[in-house]
Amino acid sequence: MKSLLIINRQAPWSGPGAREALDIALAGGAFDLPIAMLFLDDGALQLMPGQHPQKLQQKDLGANLQALPMFGVDSLYVSARSLAERGMPQTSLTLPAEVLDDTALRALIERYDQVVTI
Amino acid sequence: MSELTVAGQIIALDKDGYLCKLDDWSEAVAAALAQREALILTEEHWQVLKLLREFYAEFQLSPANRPLIKYVALKLGPEQGNSLHLNRLFNGTPAKLAAKLAGLPKPTNCL
Amino acid sequence: MPTLHVLSDSPFTDASLSSCLRLLNEDDGLLLCGDAVYALLADTPQLQALELIPDSIQLYALEEDVQARSIDAPACAQVIDYPEFVRLSLKFAKVNSWL
Repeated sequence: MKSLLIINRQAPWSGPGAREALDIALAGGAFDLPIAMLFLDDGALQLMPGQHPQKLQQKDLGANLQALPMFGVDSLYVSARSLAERGMPQTSLTLPAEVLDDTALRALIERYDQVVTI
Repeated sequence: MSELTVAGQIIALDKDGYLCKLDDWSEAVAAALAQREALILTEEHWQVLKLLREFYAEFQLSPANRPLIKYVALKLGPEQGNSLHLNRLFNGTPAKLAAKLAGLPKPTNCL
Repeated sequence: MPTLHVLSDSPFTDASLSSCLRLLNEDDGLLLCGDAVYALLADTPQLQALELIPDSIQLYALEEDVQARSIDAPACAQVIDYPEFVRLSLKFAKVNSWL
């Protein structure tokens, strides 16, 4: 079975992108595919604690993201650079994502059979 | 769209028989929904239904079969959290049928 | 003719913030909404740039977008609701929405 890395670059609330990336992961996970998700660039903002989607009449993407491990997607990564650029501390993220520097990210991408960036 | 009448109250269902409003759910509604599926709810069913509602409260979505099995195994142990047992309880389609009886939306990741 | 500039794109993926800051006149206003409120994140060069704009230029941020994204608005930004947004659009001679 081929492994898939989803690179998630979407900010959480401005468009359908963040949810679409999650849906790919959940659908693949439901079929037991080996799937990983990397939060890169504005995608890192999805991991910010204390967000209030109900202010924007949106569904709670943050709660949905917590289901990833239940769907068998427990390889979660986030770019150290993306966090630093946004002033986000590595220690208060809403998912247990492994924080990787650029060198580690290159190795990660190389390790997967297939990669999709959203 | 169809309707369900429980204790004199009219409850709206979508085209697949799922509750339109999550808040309409009660144990009486679950029993009435089960009757439509020719299913009699036992204590084992109720345990799973309650757990599903907890799953939804935590993750705001209905699980597909695999995550459902995993969650039940985590909370109730492998005796109940396996596909054979859940298939037997819910006529072979645990994610869809249990979500329906628990008053949750149809699971979207069940293809 | 003072202009209210309205930004909505993320300052990390789009150059609209830096371009806009170069083009502001002294009586203009700058309103951040949508993903543009991410410019208010602490410890970022984006916030530092906003803190350097002259006092004559008022900086606003839309309340629901700030709250939804869990951002603590810094002192340099005035947090406003939609009615205030409407009032501002009437107060300024024109509104420039950076789409």
